[in-house]
Amino acid sequence: MSGGVDSSVAAALLVERGYDVVGATMKTFCYSGTPGHARSCCGLDGIQDARRVCDRLGIPHYVFDMEEAFTRDVIDDFVAEYVAGRTPNPCVRCNSNTKIPDLLRKGRALGAELIATGHYARTAPGTDGRTRLLRGVDEAKDQSYFLWGVPAEVVPYLLFPVGELTKPEVRARARAQGLSTAEKPESQEICFVPTGDYTDLLEQRLGAAHPALQPGRLVTPAGEVVGEHAGYGRYTVGQRKGLGGGFPRPLYVLGVRPGSNEVVVGDEALLERRELALSDLNWLDEPPAAGERLLLRIRHRAGRVPATVVGGEGDVLRLELDTPLRAITPGQSGALYRDDVLIGGGRIR
Amino acid sequence: MEPIYLDHAATTPIRSEVRAAILPFLDARFGNPSSTHRWGREARAALEEARERVAGALGAQRREIVFTSGGTEADNLAVLGRWRAARHAGGAAVACSAIEHKAVLGALHAAGDEGAEALLLAVDADGVLDVGALDETLAARPAVVSIMWANNEVGTLQPVEAVAARCRAAGVCFHSDAVQAFGKVPVRVDRVPVDLLSISAHKIGGPKGIGALYVRAGTELEPLVHGGTQEGGLRPGTESVALAAGMGVAAELAAREQREEARRLAALRDRLEGALLERIADAVVNGGGAPRLPQILNLSIPGVERDALLMSLDMEGVAISTGSACQSGVVEASHVLLAMGRALPGETAVRFSLGRTTTEREIEQVIEIVPRVVERVRELAG
Repeated sequence: MSGGVDSSVAAALLVERGYDVVGATMKTFCYSGTPGHARSCCGLDGIQDARRVCDRLGIPHYVFDMEEAFTRDVIDDFVAEYVAGRTPNPCVRCNSNTKIPDLLRKGRALGAELIATGHYARTAPGTDGRTRLLRGVDEAKDQSYFLWGVPAEVVPYLLFPVGELTKPEVRARARAQGLSTAEKPESQEICFVPTGDYTDLLEQRLGAAHPALQPGRLVTPAGEVVGEHAGYGRYTVGQRKGLGGGFPRPLYVLGVRPGSNEVVVGDEALLERRELALSDLNWLDEPPAAGERLLLRIRHRAGRVPATVVGGEGDVLRLELDTPLRAITPGQSGALYRDDVLIGGGRIR
Repeated sequence: MEPIYLDHAATTPIRSEVRAAILPFLDARFGNPSSTHRWGREARAALEEARERVAGALGAQRREIVFTSGGTEADNLAVLGRWRAARHAGGAAVACSAIEHKAVLGALHAAGDEGAEALLLAVDADGVLDVGALDETLAARPAVVSIMWANNEVGTLQPVEAVAARCRAAGVCFHSDAVQAFGKVPVRVDRVPVDLLSISAHKIGGPKGIGALYVRAGTELEPLVHGGTQEGGLRPGTESVALAAGMGVAAELAAREQREEARRLAALRDRLEGALLERIADAVVNGGGAPRLPQILNLSIPGVERDALLMSLDMEGVAISTGSACQSGVVEASHVLLAMGRALPGETAVRFSLGRTTTEREIEQVIEIVPRVVERVRELAG
């Protein structure tokens, strides 16, 4: 329970359905020493909010110290991905490692059998007896995208109580139950980057002298040097800000080359691509066959688009899109669906 | 099964005698002890009667008892109040053991922020102060040396008589936090020459929100808050007569019953300790090599996660402690065990603390439950 409205209502729905519920909040990051949190060591307001919701529901609430695993599996990976010139997706990493498998293991030590989250996603048993993970009913809020990396063997133990609801329905239920989190705004920022600027974290973890944070050349795909950038770790595909001005046309980041500390820039039209490859694959259902038509989501809140499997070798899957997508970004996630079933996904290469 | 409360070192249930002593002051006897009229006189009489009871329980004089909001404030008044009074006279240091309660450690650091040299005295592997190291500390002429009577986490008794004697001989003010010790072992300021001593009501069947500092006549202290002349000017603000009345009765009963209760608790604790050591492989008693309070058992159990064990026991209805939690609710490694060199990775230390309501039947049930839960947590963590 993050202290947000979705996990609050998820807990309330389970209590209502007669489950024996224990509230759990992960302490993933120590906020002491970060600006604005100086006086509340590890005192994420969210923890207090989650506790108040559990008080209200009459269920126990515990805080699990996941800092070590979260630092290793999420924050270290986040930093390493930027150093490698990619744009990481820490929420996917957290779900794949910390929030679901690690917390389920901790919960089992307490005698818990299932783990529930506030994700807008669903599970359903298939005719073959295998539990499938489905997108949330509210297509606009669907969060199944964040779950492609969870180990297949934990899927039967997952509950997504709000997956059948829309966001306004969730808020209405929270209000009706008098939960203090009913009107809480959505959190958008990365939880371990409280300043909202991830480059602060990179500077803190890598040191300002790290190669990823040193100035380098801005180049066009043809190799022409058109300016200077402030460190390749500060750029992501599709970005327009931070490139400086004085260009005849607006320039966009097309790619990042860590080896030569170059950032490749060009016209917006060059951001459009029709093919992509996924690696670090994870399957929650039968892997797709060559030629199979699937639906692909490459970012949260972006629509799912038709794609065809055109090949794959080892841990790589190649896909071709029916229509081009803008800013397909290495390091981000590609989640794959057969109709409403999330079958898995991978990291964009 | 009825839930079993074995966390009496955290707080205790209020005794019925104490409750009865409090109630009149929540009703008709609401006066302010500083008022000169009938209501005030009545309140003042009750307040002073409570002070006499507390003084009697400690072997002190009535005027030497200052009521505070609890043990934490008493510790702060002792350490910080003593530092502020002594720095005018050229004092430069304050000292305490590394295993003091956070109230003392916090006050010591606050004095450090005000320019005091903050000296921490080491303890041995059993959590007992090394008296030999005291001479060097005393040579620094600290404004106050603060050594707890007994540790709240592992229960080890500290050599307060030896420390008191040396401080007295060196002319250095000595404070002892006796919050956990009072009522469990003899704590008498007429037998041990302490200058300052903290106690708390809610650890002995009294209400929360009140404690007391014994201030030996002639000990200079500066108040931490400013205002009127209540509590000899050391603790201004209208006194809580209700809480004081409750504390007076609780302290009197605790002192009167101390010897018999200590014998009873020690027998129960020893039974628990023996059975758990037998049934939980590799468990170790922290502080086991030293004289301890009769009500505390601190066990280190390898191969279990702290939070998993505490939560599992909570769900089984057994309330114990695994140390103090930070604001987020995450239980942190104990500074006491760290100082003892006993905070080992992969080990969880748990504290069982028994009290007046603890029964033999409860201890037998805990002997059944805890090893079973430990086994389950170990298996699933594996």
